[in-house]
Amino acid sequence: MEKPLGKYTVSFGLALAITAIFSALLVVIKELSENTVLALMKRATGHHWITHTIIDLIVFVALGFLLTKVQISPERLSRVIIGATVAGGLIIAGFYLLAD
Amino acid sequence: MFEVMVMMHAVLGLLVLLAGIWVFVEALNVSQSNVARIRLASLIVAVAMWVTFAVAGYWYVAYYAADKALILKGPWPFAHNFFMETKEHVVLMLLLLTTFLPIAAQNDLVGNKGARSLFLCVAGLIVLIGVAVEGSGGIISMGAKLGAALR
Repeated sequence: MEKPLGKYTVSFGLALAITAIFSALLVVIKELSENTVLALMKRATGHHWITHTIIDLIVFVALGFLLTKVQISPERLSRVIIGATVAGGLIIAGFYLLAD
Repeated sequence: MFEVMVMMHAVLGLLVLLAGIWVFVEALNVSQSNVARIRLASLIVAVAMWVTFAVAGYWYVAYYAADKALILKGPWPFAHNFFMETKEHVVLMLLLLTTFLPIAAQNDLVGNKGARSLFLCVAGLIVLIGVAVEGSGGIISMGAKLGAALR
């Protein structure tokens, strides 16, 4: 019988997928809310991109340690990570393509 | 300093891409004899990405505004409006993928086919996004050059 995936592989894999989508949605939200969200993010660290990075890392690490009880097959985790990464990339690229 | 940082982040980015390809190919041919090397290479990918991210991030925040102004006044404004804007956010996903790679490498890559597939998926995504990011960097650089030439 094959060994199951390590608990941190599952939790940080799911954290990666969730953060990829979250980060893409944060791009759309901040760009559409220049005077509120974007301005707040700029004020927080001096640059919206630094704030964005810090938020992403906090979400990723927090979810990585919170989701250690979740069980999922390696095949499903692979699909979730690929799907979320592709979707996140398409949301970001699609947004700037339409905005350009 | 500006030129050094531009070159450094491009070269370091290329290192991440090459290390990603190395890890991917090693994992395609995984066995007991190379699994330790795969784990080490995964760590190299992650460390290289964090160093690249720190250098590129500093350059972006400290120096990019001048290039941005040149690009937007030049014939290739899309080099910033689409490629830079997309790159600066997609690279965050690359940072997370490379950070996750050494974690995924800790599983039984030799005996567990699912774990191996997962590892290959992550390494493959790193390579694909790495190529897209490097290509975008070239377009952004060209946009700045064209903007400066026509100034």
